[in-house]
Amino acid sequence: MINALLIFTARGELVVSKLFKGSMKRSIADIFRIQVINNLDVRSPILTLGSTTFHHIKSTRGDNLWIVAVSRNNVDSAAIWEFLYKLDSLLDSYGLNHEEYLKEEFMIVHELLDVMMCGSGGIPMLTENSLVISRMSVKPSKSILEAQNSGNGSSNTNSNNNNNNVPDLLMSGPKLLRRNSASLSQDLSILTDFKWRPKGIVHKKNEVILHVNERINILVSKDGSVLKAYVDGSIDLETHLSGTPICQFGLNDSLSVSGVDSDMYGSHNHNHHFGDVNFDKTDKKQLSMASVGSVILEDCKFHQCVSLDKFDKDRIIKFVPPDGSMELMKYHVRDNLNLPFKVSPIVTNTRNGTALEYRITMKSLFPGRLSAKNVALHIPVPPNTMDCKINVTNGSCKFIPEESAMIWRFNKFNGLTENTLSAVTIPTKDNTQLSLQQWSKPPMSLDFEILMFSNSGLVVRYFTITERDQKYKAVKWIKYISRSGSYEIRY
Amino acid sequence: MSDQRIFTRYRASEIRTDLQNIDIKKLKSSATKRKNALKKIIANISLGNYGEMLELLPEILSFWQIEDDFEVKRICHEYARSLGSIKPKITDDILPFVLQDLKSRNEHLQIMALRTLVFIPSASFTNEAFKFIISMVNRRNASEELTKTALFALIQLDDLNHNKVTDLFNIIHDTIQQRSDNPSIQVAALHTLYAIHEKHTDMKPLQITVESCFDLVERLSELNEWDKGLLLEALTTAVVPQTHADSYDLIDIVLPQLQHVNTFVVLNTFKFVIYLLNYVDSVSENIVKRLSNSIIALLNKAPELQFLVLRNVILLLLSREKPLLDLDVSYFFVEFNDPIYIKDTKLECLYLLANQDTLSQILEELEQYATDIDIQMSRKAIRAIGNLAVKLDENAATDCFNLLLHLLEFGVDYVVQEIISVFRNILRKYPDKFRSSIREIVKYTDAVQEPESKNAMIWIVTQYADFLPDYITVFEKLNSSFMEDPLEVQFSILNSSIKLFMKFPTPETKQLSGDVLRTCVDMVNNPDLRARALMYQRLIQLANSQYGPYAALDNSLHEIVDSNLPLIELNSKLDPLVLEELALNISSVTSVYLKPTSQIFRLNRTKFLPQSPVLLADKNKLTINDGPSFSRDRADSKAKSLPKRTPTMSDYDKPAEKVNQLRGKMKSSSSSPSKLVRKPSMLMKRLSMKRPF
Repeated sequence: MINALLIFTARGELVVSKLFKGSMKRSIADIFRIQVINNLDVRSPILTLGSTTFHHIKSTRGDNLWIVAVSRNNVDSAAIWEFLYKLDSLLDSYGLNHEEYLKEEFMIVHELLDVMMCGSGGIPMLTENSLVISRMSVKPSKSILEAQNSGNGSSNTNSNNNNNNVPDLLMSGPKLLRRNSASLSQDLSILTDFKWRPKGIVHKKNEVILHVNERINILVSKDGSVLKAYVDGSIDLETHLSGTPICQFGLNDSLSVSGVDSDMYGSHNHNHHFGDVNFDKTDKKQLSMASVGSVILEDCKFHQCVSLDKFDKDRIIKFVPPDGSMELMKYHVRDNLNLPFKVSPIVTNTRNGTALEYRITMKSLFPGRLSAKNVALHIPVPPNTMDCKINVTNGSCKFIPEESAMIWRFNKFNGLTENTLSAVTIPTKDNTQLSLQQWSKPPMSLDFEILMFSNSGLVVRYFTITERDQKYKAVKWIKYISRSGSYEIRY
Repeated sequence: MSDQRIFTRYRASEIRTDLQNIDIKKLKSSATKRKNALKKIIANISLGNYGEMLELLPEILSFWQIEDDFEVKRICHEYARSLGSIKPKITDDILPFVLQDLKSRNEHLQIMALRTLVFIPSASFTNEAFKFIISMVNRRNASEELTKTALFALIQLDDLNHNKVTDLFNIIHDTIQQRSDNPSIQVAALHTLYAIHEKHTDMKPLQITVESCFDLVERLSELNEWDKGLLLEALTTAVVPQTHADSYDLIDIVLPQLQHVNTFVVLNTFKFVIYLLNYVDSVSENIVKRLSNSIIALLNKAPELQFLVLRNVILLLLSREKPLLDLDVSYFFVEFNDPIYIKDTKLECLYLLANQDTLSQILEELEQYATDIDIQMSRKAIRAIGNLAVKLDENAATDCFNLLLHLLEFGVDYVVQEIISVFRNILRKYPDKFRSSIREIVKYTDAVQEPESKNAMIWIVTQYADFLPDYITVFEKLNSSFMEDPLEVQFSILNSSIKLFMKFPTPETKQLSGDVLRTCVDMVNNPDLRARALMYQRLIQLANSQYGPYAALDNSLHEIVDSNLPLIELNSKLDPLVLEELALNISSVTSVYLKPTSQIFRLNRTKFLPQSPVLLADKNKLTINDGPSFSRDRADSKAKSLPKRTPTMSDYDKPAEKVNQLRGKMKSSSSSPSKLVRKPSMLMKRLSMKRPF
């Protein structure tokens, strides 16, 4: 499938070239360098010359490496790009996406590729981070992992939805997984021996954290109509569980709510321990206020440990989790969303027609008990603006000349509160710039983060963990975080 | 770390000294030093420094023999592969070492050795590889990974010795049948067959029986993501359903895989389902809904994967008269920081999705893009508006036309150029509808510069000269820089001047056409243009000579110079055969380029739908019913009945509990108040903020 794999530094130095086919020439790397890296006008992530195809990505973190797959026939592009991103995330966990380190330790990449691909044909076989690492002779050093984890936290808040499919790697479990990647068979309770989950994992404290992360994407037109609105969500799982637990949870999605398991909800609810966040029934009401308590999941995609047949039949999500962290599912919702903010901008020309006047009200629509963090409204101004006169009711607003924009920031924005900004731009004297009519008015965009709020109204209705040991106890935490994806407002 | 950098060019002698200088007594430090020296060799091979590195063969071989360390072994094998395939003469020296590793008890070392054997294109290596693979595949107790490596190695060996591989086909087929203890091995065997069949167009297409196909897909849930994808990829066209029930059952079994997180699995499930839908006569609406939703969910992936999915959306939208996808246009709205290739593709999707219901929404978007910073994006958006006017009905055309007129006022140079070019197409489709706006368009005569838009303007002026009292002045303006204009514009001016003369044989037009003709004949160097001018000149002379046998020529002259143009049509449809093939190549490289496989990969097989009693002859006959579904899935019908309406922000509005009012005056933001100005009392407060002990 993949005939050669190349890794270049951002400037185009070839560091790793691993060929999987004898007839492949090493000079293939020069062709890529000339045609893509040195060519500023490239507008596509795929290039075919003759019958040779280059698929490339740029590493998402680190030093912007070029990761390139070369193939000779009509290969499956989805497989190749998925593989490249998996490789990127592994390079990241080894810290190999930093140029200097990669140049020292490039043999680790060779080993990684030996583990990840099967046979000489360059066919991807094993890409689950924890499984690959468990089979490597070298483990990522702890310090890199920690640095990266903290890095993840910060990069997550301001990254856009483009890179949120790169799984966050948190290998904080005390033991790494061994053995290979066979997936679950349909009936979980019969199987006692899970190949990928070593027997006898013991944790002092059994703990599961379920993160419900959501990004809301919205585009509002000039007249206030919502042109598009949808939520991309993911449920990430952090498990430190002993033994072989079978986890099961249900969501309030419209297809399962009407179904059988309403009694399950009652019977299992009492043994929940929601830690610091007081997650009781009233909170549940508040989370699901969007609709009558059910959410239409347009689509969801699951990690390979989830039994898809079971979900298809009964809408129950049942799985034996690998130890450590993973992204369990992704979902997509578009109806009955809880929009967290309403931004109503009025932008007019001043009387002499050289400057703009902004009057923006921003109102939070989530419950008063909650508050949003890191709220920032990015307000573009015309390129010939020298300065802005600004007045705001709350928060702070600054004009950033480099971005041609005003940024209105709030450390904390309470629910059901309205704030107003009024501002006037001060244009430069020189008139050679584009006139205001010709300014393309890029949309305003809003960033925010709200804890314990679900944009989609999705709620985890119950979450059970069963183990053969009757006395098995586990602490379960569920955290909801809603963030902005691309939240754009035109004016 | 070593004192020297690893990733630089070295001479063989330098590395040799490195390797020899190792103090045997200090075991640990010497091991790292040795490894670093060896790594330098691989780094130098990456840098293309083959000649020097070749001299180190004796050192490599000596380490190969004594070292048990895995990393050193890996370096040795990498060395052997890289140099062995370039310098065949060293392969004989290497072979015994590789064979020795192959006999090892360590499975990973065996795999490594097998890869090296397959990699080096030398007869002795290939023979050994075959020997090993045959023994491997027959041994049932061999590990899964080793067996799979052996099977996949055959794809590679096929390039070197096709006949010997075909001899092994029976064994591979048996593996598919018999290794039901390990479905992953079955998939590996199937993929091997599939890949080999793909490469040889002279072989019959791969076929497997419906029964064994069921056996395989029943175990999908036991496979890992890559195996799932490989299986579904190979099964498309390999299994031919014989009854409708076959297809329905297969669809039911694979459908849950649309929920997988890996794009490879989802798109191949998609491909398999689309393929199977050729062997049924009706499909439940629920399936359409599930397919559509799973596609939409993929748009949340990394940009490259999004791009691939979008290209496949185009393919699927084109492939049937009534597409199997039911997608909301809003997903294809361009986002500000989408990479350019995604913007382009989304634009194309929007164009394809446009119909009477969605037009207003789409036009509003396109208007935004037309004023985008990116010039190419803006041009494409304008082009799309124009194409929509031609593609849809008359009312839609009016909307598009008005929007374009509005954009014209935007006044940016490239926007004007593009709009003028686009107007020509619209006017050709609706010659009479927009007459009233011609004057408006002609105002921009001075702005057109690019050949295409200039041509368009010349055509418009000539065609609608009836409505332009001052057409002569306008035309003179366009004609003013004749000698500097590119050839295509010169042609166009020549033709149009004659056309004008034919339409209105006045002294002015005679003067005009005469001038142009003279310039062409006397001053132009291009023989084609000159020849055409001469031809026109003679035609006119003949027509003017009223006597003689050419009296009837006047009409023919009109026909030649100013005949009716054929109705404009947009060629967005692809050949149905090509589309059929592309639908079988969903998610592959060809689906990105939307071209038939044979055009890109000469040696690859062209896929086609195999014959079967239940093959649907015309795929547009497939009916989508919304009745009770044959499948288990239960997508809700509630969402469908909801009326379609664009919600507005005020639908979500709630009264605020607290409204902060503006107070004070506007302040300049960049001149931030200097810290020195701060009141002393404030300073005190800051200093006293420290916590008490």
